[in-house]
Amino acid sequence: MSEAGPLLLDARGLRKQYDTREGARITALEEVSVSLADGEFVSVVGPSGCGKSTMMKLIAGIVKPSAGEIIYRGQVVTRAQRGMGVVFQSPVLLPWLTVLENVLVPIRVLRMDRAPASARARELLELVGLTGFESKYPSELSGGMQQRVGIVRSLIHDPGLLLMDEPFGALDALTRERMSLALQRIWLANRKTVFFITHSILEAVFLSDRVIVMSARPGRILQEFTIPFPRPRDFDLTSTAEFGDFAREIRHLLGASVDV
Amino acid sequence: MKARLREAFWLLVSAFVAIGIWQTLISLTGLPKYVLPPPGAVWHELVAGLTADPSSRASIWYQLSDTLVATLWGFLLGGVGGVSLAAVMAEFRFVQKVLFPYVVGFQSLPKVAIAPLYVIWFGYEMEPKVAMSATLAFFPVLLNAMQGFVAIERDRMELFASLDASRWQRFVMIKLPSAAPLIFAGLNLGIVYALLGAIVAEFIGAQRGVGVLITQLQSVSDTAGVFAILVVLAVAGYVLITVMRLLQKHFVFWQASDTPPDAS
Ligand SMILES: Nc1ncnc2c1ncn2[C@@H]1O[C@H](COP(=O)(O)OP(=O)(O)OP(=O)(O)O)[C@@H](O)[C@H]1O
Ligand SMILES: [Mg+2]
Repeated sequence: MSEAGPLLLDARGLRKQYDTREGARITALEEVSVSLADGEFVSVVGPSGCGKSTMMKLIAGIVKPSAGEIIYRGQVVTRAQRGMGVVFQSPVLLPWLTVLENVLVPIRVLRMDRAPASARARELLELVGLTGFESKYPSELSGGMQQRVGIVRSLIHDPGLLLMDEPFGALDALTRERMSLALQRIWLANRKTVFFITHSILEAVFLSDRVIVMSARPGRILQEFTIPFPRPRDFDLTSTAEFGDFAREIRHLLGASVDV
Repeated sequence: MKARLREAFWLLVSAFVAIGIWQTLISLTGLPKYVLPPPGAVWHELVAGLTADPSSRASIWYQLSDTLVATLWGFLLGGVGGVSLAAVMAEFRFVQKVLFPYVVGFQSLPKVAIAPLYVIWFGYEMEPKVAMSATLAFFPVLLNAMQGFVAIERDRMELFASLDASRWQRFVMIKLPSAAPLIFAGLNLGIVYALLGAIVAEFIGAQRGVGVLITQLQSVSDTAGVFAILVVLAVAGYVLITVMRLLQKHFVFWQASDTPPDAS
């Protein structure tokens, strides 16, 4: 039921090679093309090291592709775009700032109004279960809590495109489910476009309009799946036969290299 | 609290033991006073120096204040200079490429050898002392700060890249605070070197300062007097370092307190 809106982002023929310290050159990503429609939720699953984070950084405009180009809202991306929010694989919180100040970093950098942003920050912190932690420092938080602060930070400036690199990777199973539901709620309320990287096939199928399955390094796209279930979805869906079919097919495609 | 008390107790015990050994050594070997003065004589000189009229040349305060003023000015100049140059070199690779060979060259030079030059250039007052002090403080600060600016987590830089932050924003919001722990490691060394620089300049030629006092006492073989000043200098150095540690704790509060502050 991906009511495909107009094209928001179109990445064509992306390739990325890294020069390692030893002087060797490795190809992280080979000939990858993805397009994201406005308001679409797209997940990427693939074995560790296949270039998922690399793909996200290319889209975010913080790593330059070795070949290929990315077109965002009709323009070629050569640097980071202010309309994007990024959740990194590690929380990347600044230890000298409180939780609230960390969340407000994009507001400071983008010189946006602080007062409404603070109110919004409190709302979002509540949504991820972190009320009362506003003035704590990151070192006083668990890894999972830090990651949730990172998620709130990515949302604070209301970006049109959300890039999330295994945002729930550090969370326990229960919090993970809760966060998936929260993300779905945020997405349904704002219809942002989400590019979501995960190791969890279940999470990918549950959340997405479309799931992209990648091969081991050098990363290529093996197959794309369109997930038709209507929204809002709840976790009962995951025990239905149709859901199981998708999950099984993706798992077979990936082989045994991914833990679910 | 209890641990603190115990530490203080054993510190005192060890001091008494050391003084006891010192006194025994003199009694056993009969070393002359001008080689190794007895603890009592050092104590006597210390009290005399500290209680003398503070405006007289015999007063330790009179001499020490001049040395400390030079130290603090030198530390300020050397510290600000070191951090600034490190920042410029980190921001502009070209500057780094051009200047780094000079830094390495000066760094391997025994810098106290410059002191006579400073005296020729700046005279016998405060200026050569400040110059020497700043010169010695500059390098440890520069080298540590450079390392701090270079070793910034890539994730943090990528976060700011993703927000398309300006160069200035990246510097102020990420690079400076990220480098702060190592900058402080450099400053902790710098303050000690600043004191060293001031005293070296006083040895070479100055009107006033503990370095001058030491050379005067040396010329009349007043070893007990020299010992008394060394005690004062040890305490002064300890106070300076403690102040730096407190500043570090305040400004770099997020740095785990159990890691040694100066890794170099
Ligand atoms: N900055 C870099 N320099 C050199 N090699 C890199 C760099 N970043 C990534 N790589 C390499 O590129 C490949 C892809 O890395 P990437 O982080 O994109 O994988 P990933 O799919 O996100 O893996 P994971 O699921 O474990 O997070 C890896 O082999 C990695 O070693
Ligand atoms: Mg990754």
